[in-house]
Amino acid sequence: MSTAEMLLWVNKYKPKSFDEIIGNKEAISTFRNWLDSFFNGTSQNKAALLWGPPGVGKTLTVEVAAIEYKAELIQMNASDSRSYDDVERIAITTSKHVGFSVSRKIILVDEIDGILVSEDKGGLNALIKLIEVSKFPVVFTANDPWDPRFKQLRDACLMIQFNAVRSTSIIPFLEKICRAEGISYNREALKIIAERCEGDVRSAINDLQTCVAGRKVLKLEDVKWLAYRDRVIPAFEVLRGIFSANTCNSAKRYTITSDLSYDELIQWLNENIPIQYSEPKELVDAFNSLSKADVYLGRIKSSQDWSLLSYAMDLMTAGVALAKKGKYKFVKYSFPERIRLLQRSVEIRELMNEIAKLLAKNCHVSSKTAISEYIPILKIIFNHNVKMAAGIASWLDLDDRMIEFLTGDINKSNEIKSLIRH
Amino acid sequence: MCSEVFMLWTEKYRPKTLDEVVNQKDIVPRLKSFVQSRNIPHMLFAGPPGCGKTTVALALAYDLYGNYWRQNVLELNASDERGIQTVRERVKDYARTMPIGDVPFKIIILDEADNMTADAQQALRRIMELYTRTCRFILIANYSSKIIEPIQSRCAIFRFQPLSDEDIAGRLKYIAQKENVKLTSGGLEAILYVAEGDMRKAINTLQAAAAIGDVDESTVYRVVGKANPVEIREMMTLALKGDFVNARNKLRELMVNYGLSGVDIVKQMHREVFTLDIPEGLKVILSDKIGEVNFRMIEGADEDIQLSYLLACFSLYGEELRGSK
Repeated sequence: MSTAEMLLWVNKYKPKSFDEIIGNKEAISTFRNWLDSFFNGTSQNKAALLWGPPGVGKTLTVEVAAIEYKAELIQMNASDSRSYDDVERIAITTSKHVGFSVSRKIILVDEIDGILVSEDKGGLNALIKLIEVSKFPVVFTANDPWDPRFKQLRDACLMIQFNAVRSTSIIPFLEKICRAEGISYNREALKIIAERCEGDVRSAINDLQTCVAGRKVLKLEDVKWLAYRDRVIPAFEVLRGIFSANTCNSAKRYTITSDLSYDELIQWLNENIPIQYSEPKELVDAFNSLSKADVYLGRIKSSQDWSLLSYAMDLMTAGVALAKKGKYKFVKYSFPERIRLLQRSVEIRELMNEIAKLLAKNCHVSSKTAISEYIPILKIIFNHNVKMAAGIASWLDLDDRMIEFLTGDINKSNEIKSLIRH
Repeated sequence: MCSEVFMLWTEKYRPKTLDEVVNQKDIVPRLKSFVQSRNIPHMLFAGPPGCGKTTVALALAYDLYGNYWRQNVLELNASDERGIQTVRERVKDYARTMPIGDVPFKIIILDEADNMTADAQQALRRIMELYTRTCRFILIANYSSKIIEPIQSRCAIFRFQPLSDEDIAGRLKYIAQKENVKLTSGGLEAILYVAEGDMRKAINTLQAAAAIGDVDESTVYRVVGKANPVEIREMMTLALKGDFVNARNKLRELMVNYGLSGVDIVKQMHREVFTLDIPEGLKVILSDKIGEVNFRMIEGADEDIQLSYLLACFSLYGEELRGSK
């Protein structure tokens, strides 16, 4: 796992046993009974389809099963490699060749909604063939399995429904994470996070991490950011209005009707310009306007002269709209994922700066040199030589988070930590 | 566990006294005579990175004060201090107390002094004058020409020579022997090549390679490859090919995985742009775009938006390039 992945709490606090999974107890026990019967050879179904809304633990349940049943998990993300050849090659070969090993395997095909597109019809056939030939249990996950195309697949599977997780179950889990991270939290803030996520545990944990943003305290006002996500619908309408406008005035109308603030709007546009415009010339013209709007926003911040805002808005709306060379194309817009990424990179940068300070003190260099010359070297050492790493960690007095950052691997950092204690 | 054994080798093997410093033969004897007379002037050490400026300054302090050197030395780094105001405050606080031992002054080492603006250096000059009675300054810089004249004229200037490959090789062999590390001649050559006369880089590379295993050519290049993200180049190539979406994904990945700031990224892009396989004229055009975006970010513009614009420029020029071929 990369450093960035491991720093994600959804990965760091991922349950390792069935008992740790919150919610969906009934679905999980149905699934376990099925696996038991499969491995006993008494099962009616060779495949199961776990379905339900995102972030409630479908994939997680399969991953935990692999741990608890000591089985090798062969995972295919259906939306990664969707052609018939890919599915056939990966799935059917792994499943036929049992080899001499007696170890158990579980085959997981994630997100089969992703293969819904018509050209992937072959892929769907391959999955059905996979069930027929497999010597191992095959598990599918889906958000919505009721598309008519899946009929044959549904008939071949044991259907197990997963439901949204109740917020009262999510809150204690969030509390557990806060305690483990040493964060003093406002209980009301956790409640808001748990309620807003609509039963999606994964997004609740992501939201928690985003709101905490690397600090050691979670206050009520920190969760205000979440309201941002609820604006998806008005934002989509504004984007459609701006991108489809053919004159300055029709584009500029959206500065007035918009529910979004100017700094929210610029982020939405930044995310969606490459989705709307694919021609390099259109991209450059649109980003040229947007980046200049951003320069105006900077000038407003430093001069506090808000009369400049109208120029920024012109560039954001009319400038971006008139970048198009052809007719407006209907596309699916997306949420500015970057806002979440930004929080995360701020967190990593802060952590690096803390490590750099320790290095600067002990190695007589500037923090800048520590970051550019020493941290890359430390990362290599921490990745390859736990003994040397443990020595350096105690010499520099690195804390657990720093060790985790430098190794980017939970097992290695635990090894280093235990070496330090002894 | 004895942590001494596992320090970073740049510190573990840093010469402690002037006697242990084997090179800079023009400089060390003069400094030793200062030590004997128990008096030193303000000094300016200039020279390339990793040639021993900080080491010599610390060794001088050790020779002067012995075990009390820590109490009598204030180390400041110009690029870490927030402005000349904090430098003044810290010097003021520090200069208030008397030195310990038989030397009548304390030492202030100001590293990376050439990173200070001319205005800040003027203020520094006044600070130096104000505290001359109780403190001596050792300013450290890569380029003496970036230090203003009035300061230069108040300092004894010592120009440090870059270290020779023999000097570095000797030290690396010594460390390898002490640490029981197998260092092949190919490994040694490779370290000397990447270190470019910089002892700090050489020793850090040696230690990282030794963490992986025997130090031969392949471990050294593994270290170098990992320490320099090649993704910047990949990102630029993707954009030039017209794959804007993946270029931007790469950009975001770099910022998250390596904790790079927008300015870090444009600086590396600027370095890489001249090594790309594109027409010479285009390199200049792209360099200008990079500079513009760099300037905007320094002024506080949004990194992701500005870099998106830059990548869009790359993809447009890349398309023109493909069209013309």
